[in-house]
Amino acid sequence: MEPEYALLTIGVALILGKIGDHIIERFELPGVLGEIFIGMLLGNLIFFGILPNSALILHDETFEFLAKIGIIFLLFLGGLDTEVEMVKKTGVVATVSTIGGVFVPLILGYITGFYLLKFSSREAFTMGVLLTATSIGITVRVMMDLGVLRSEVGAASLSASIMDDFLGIALIIFAVGSGSVLELGEKIALFFFITGIIAWYAIDKYVKFAEWLRVEMGVLALSIGLMFIFSALAEKWFQAAIEGAFMSGLVLSKLPEGKRVMEEVRSIGYGLFIPLFFVYVGAQLDLRVFTHGDAIKLATIITLLAILGKVLGRGIFARLAGWDWRKSIQMGIGSIPRLEVALVAVMVAIHGGAIPKAHAQYFMAATLVFVTVTTLITPPLLKLAFKSEIEAMKKQKVEKRKIAIEESKQRISEVKK
Amino acid sequence: MKDFERALQTFHSLRVKQIMPSILNMPIADKNTPLIDIFKILRTRHHVWVVNNKKDMKPIGFIRYRNIIDFLLPPGSHMARFGKISDVFKSILGGAETAKDIMDKNFLTIDENATVLEALEKMKKYKVQILAITKDGRLVGEISLRLLVNELLRLMRVGGAEWSQSTHSSQSE
Repeated sequence: MEPEYALLTIGVALILGKIGDHIIERFELPGVLGEIFIGMLLGNLIFFGILPNSALILHDETFEFLAKIGIIFLLFLGGLDTEVEMVKKTGVVATVSTIGGVFVPLILGYITGFYLLKFSSREAFTMGVLLTATSIGITVRVMMDLGVLRSEVGAASLSASIMDDFLGIALIIFAVGSGSVLELGEKIALFFFITGIIAWYAIDKYVKFAEWLRVEMGVLALSIGLMFIFSALAEKWFQAAIEGAFMSGLVLSKLPEGKRVMEEVRSIGYGLFIPLFFVYVGAQLDLRVFTHGDAIKLATIITLLAILGKVLGRGIFARLAGWDWRKSIQMGIGSIPRLEVALVAVMVAIHGGAIPKAHAQYFMAATLVFVTVTTLITPPLLKLAFKSEIEAMKKQKVEKRKIAIEESKQRISEVKK
Repeated sequence: MKDFERALQTFHSLRVKQIMPSILNMPIADKNTPLIDIFKILRTRHHVWVVNNKKDMKPIGFIRYRNIIDFLLPPGSHMARFGKISDVFKSILGGAETAKDIMDKNFLTIDENATVLEALEKMKKYKVQILAITKDGRLVGEISLRLLVNELLRLMRVGGAEWSQSTHSSQSE
């Protein structure tokens, strides 16, 4: 690998990735998709021989390593941004429907993978895990546009999505972790004891120590250092560094001082490593895979499961918890989109060996198809689901305006008299 | 210049509680205060402290000019992404109605016995211009760059004459 080409690749990936991000954002869709499409374009220019392999090192170890750092930053930010207080306030319906929304797609994915597609147990489980975490971004945006974000369904969807992410990320351990269930259980218990309990109580002292050091950006450096150490531990035990990154962010989110470093972490993450990860994801997909019937079959099945699993899982469980059908379905539809965590999970699963190399391209293709489809169909479905609420709100506004006009008319006539 | 250095030394060793304003002069709002009232306070103040209720005075957040950007921007301007969702909730178009909907929960505190130097170092480290002063979980004061500048000027005005006198007398001796 020539260093000048590595530098060139980083530069091109960042500039074009952000341009792709901008274009997609103009359509009010998650800009991440733009970064992925740019990666897909660049990667396939190489796969199709239009660009020489040496021109851009998108399929090289160096770029892969930078992309992995991007995943770590992404999950660290996810942990830092988590409002633990909000999770604590989650109501019964949101909790119950989250459980349904995670485990129904997981079970559906597993059964379909194992019995229908004849995958190994581990691969089928991984397929289920890919379907678990919701990407709330697009739902938030649409609900905001519709004016229903602060409704009961909106509030429950938000808190449910936090738990959703947490469960989805935790389940990746079982997909990629090796050893017997007992061994894995011991490791998980020890990992959460170290990164959760001990760190939760010791983090105040750690941050105080970082403040005490008379160095430039001490708190930021020590926070990022903690992120990498936790990631290393998780990588060693579960082949899933993301677990450590997420936990370190979660622990730091407890302190206002920890939250304060978020801006700087975001600058490093979203300004460098995270776009590289999304470009890398896109670049890994060889579009020729769609000439294989198996890839199309997997993409179709997984997309259907992604939609049905969430709508049924969250919807039915919300109904069981006491909501009416209308609200339950709204809740289910709001949880359809998948994005970042699904992409992270598929990459971790491929690198961790949970998905065999022979199926890696199929899974990449299927994941990119289902994240795109679920993101695209959610806005119109949500508008349809909230149609009566929107009409009621419009009527209310018209009524209010009528009353205001009448009042003004009355005042004018009184003044004239 | 020496006067300034002396003033600065005295200034650094002052306790924040010696400078903090009376709690009655601080902009404080209840968590359920409507946004319109918060706007009214922000017409003349740079920030508002948000407390659980005015009886127990437990600080739960604060609202700065910077937060106004978040809640005035239309939904399309907020990029709701993994690790970047929390800011979106503060948009007024997202349904924010009261102080608690838009406040920044991550305010920094400092002990009332801390020195001005410690406060300045904390402000520099976290790039903030204001710190809450708490005692037993209650908001008892605040320390901001504006207050610090005022105090420094006061110190130079008051102390300046005394120090020049002592400098002259030591020279004549």
